[in-house]
Amino acid sequence: MKFNYAAPVTLEELSELKKGGGKLFSGGTDLFVKMRAGVLKPDLVVDTKKVETPKLECDKGLRIYMNTTYTDILKSGCARKYSLLMKILLEVGSPQIRNRGTPVGNLGNASPAGDFLLSTYVYDSKVIVGPSMREVPVKNFVKGPGKVDLSDEEFIYAVILEPLEGYTTYYEKVGRRNSMVISIASIAVALKIESGVIEDARIAYGSVGPTVVRFTDLEEKLIGERPKKELFESLAMEYSDRVKPITDVRASAEYRKKLTGNLLIKAYLNMNL
Amino acid sequence: MIAIKISFKLNGKWVEADVEPYKRALDFLRDDMGMTSVKEGCSEGECGACTIIVNGRNVHSCLMLAVELDGKDVWTLEGIIESGETYISEAYADVGAVQCGFCTPGFIVSTKVLLDENPNPKEEDIKKALEGNICRCTGYARIIEAVKEAARRKRGDAS
Ligand SMILES: Cc1cc2nc3c(=O)[nH]c(=O)nc-3n(C[C@H](O)[C@H](O)[C@H](O)COP(=O)(O)OP(=O)(O)OC[C@H]3O[C@@H](n4cnc5c(N)ncnc54)[C@H](O)[C@@H]3O)c2cc1C
Ligand code: FES
Ligand code: FES
Repeated sequence: MKFNYAAPVTLEELSELKKGGGKLFSGGTDLFVKMRAGVLKPDLVVDTKKVETPKLECDKGLRIYMNTTYTDILKSGCARKYSLLMKILLEVGSPQIRNRGTPVGNLGNASPAGDFLLSTYVYDSKVIVGPSMREVPVKNFVKGPGKVDLSDEEFIYAVILEPLEGYTTYYEKVGRRNSMVISIASIAVALKIESGVIEDARIAYGSVGPTVVRFTDLEEKLIGERPKKELFESLAMEYSDRVKPITDVRASAEYRKKLTGNLLIKAYLNMNL
Repeated sequence: MIAIKISFKLNGKWVEADVEPYKRALDFLRDDMGMTSVKEGCSEGECGACTIIVNGRNVHSCLMLAVELDGKDVWTLEGIIESGETYISEAYADVGAVQCGFCTPGFIVSTKVLLDENPNPKEEDIKKALEGNICRCTGYARIIEAVKEAARRKRGDAS
């Protein structure tokens, strides 16, 4: 497989090269695997790492810029209060993958199994799209498996996570995520409880639909309630009914549906509310 | 396709080379630079046999292009041994953590990165640090023992 390589130093050049059909990459941990498997055959790959961008900013929400790796975030002091994010990032791949892979690449790949992507749904994140720097909520940005709201000249510049203060959180991934194979299912939960009553609830699932999913009407059923086991058990059944997973080599759709509900009950039991 | 000139530090010495834009760092280091400790296993980021150190962090050379090495500080097992840092490979050999040996260079490289950062790792730290390296022979118990032994030797504790 032969292809050309470009490494622009400005965002304008990067945008031009992408418009001309170049395939962007930062860590290459998704792109090169797909090229190796013959799923993608670009004539030109565009390395984004020579463009000078900030790494992280923590003052107004957490801003993660392109080319910032998982390891950069895990080692930075200022991102530490995003504890759910930290839990999730520690489970991505392996040290070698975290040293090269980037959250922005995870977003660009838009896999329903993407672990960083899962976290962005819970943190009500926004994507900053270059070169115009327009901001889009992540749930509108991701259109389907591998599909994102970017025109030919557009690219992801950064993503902003809003802090979750006073929330109890939970994360679990079932089945190891391999390079080409998606995990069986994953869940991320954030609950805010004030004087024994649930004030806010965010529940996101990975790998049980074409994108990461959150059902706000089901989340609302928790608001104003006390966190009782029965409540979560009945909600778990509704989640199992609602999700539309697929059958693949790793698990059947039926199994994933059952798992969806069970993961919520497990999250409840582990959060010690 | 026009070759691209790169210059980078390989095992402590600056080198220059012309590389095809599509050549993987793995093939370049192994075939052009003669660094045969860099092994090709899965070619998709799973097995860790191709692990090298770039600017102090361990990465898969199978998921990296040779051109990306430009300007970087790159280490392979050859350089680690040549520079006299043999305590890790010796610990692996002494403890019996090497069977077929195919995975061993990758494990030693990942062990070096761990011990440079954390000279006193707990068992969980060791497991986490070696998550990206697969061994089909040893069953890992000896490897974990070897890392603990290497850590003792690095700290200068008597073993
Ligand atoms: C062995 C292995 C294990 C893995 N484990 C996990 C795991 O546990 N969890 C998980 O979520 N993922 C996992 N992955 C997938 C991958 O590592 C992550 O998705 C990673 O975040 C991708 O980042 P990257 O920088 O390497 O992406 P790249 O491969 O560089 O890019 C990914 C995609 O995004 C596009 N892109 C890159 N930059 C931009 C940009 N600035 N704007 C627009 N589009 C862009 C690219 O064109 C490409 O389509 C694994 C991969 C491997 C090989
Ligand atoms: S050959 Fe690179 S990880 Fe297996
Ligand atoms: S010793 Fe054979 S693969 Fe590890």
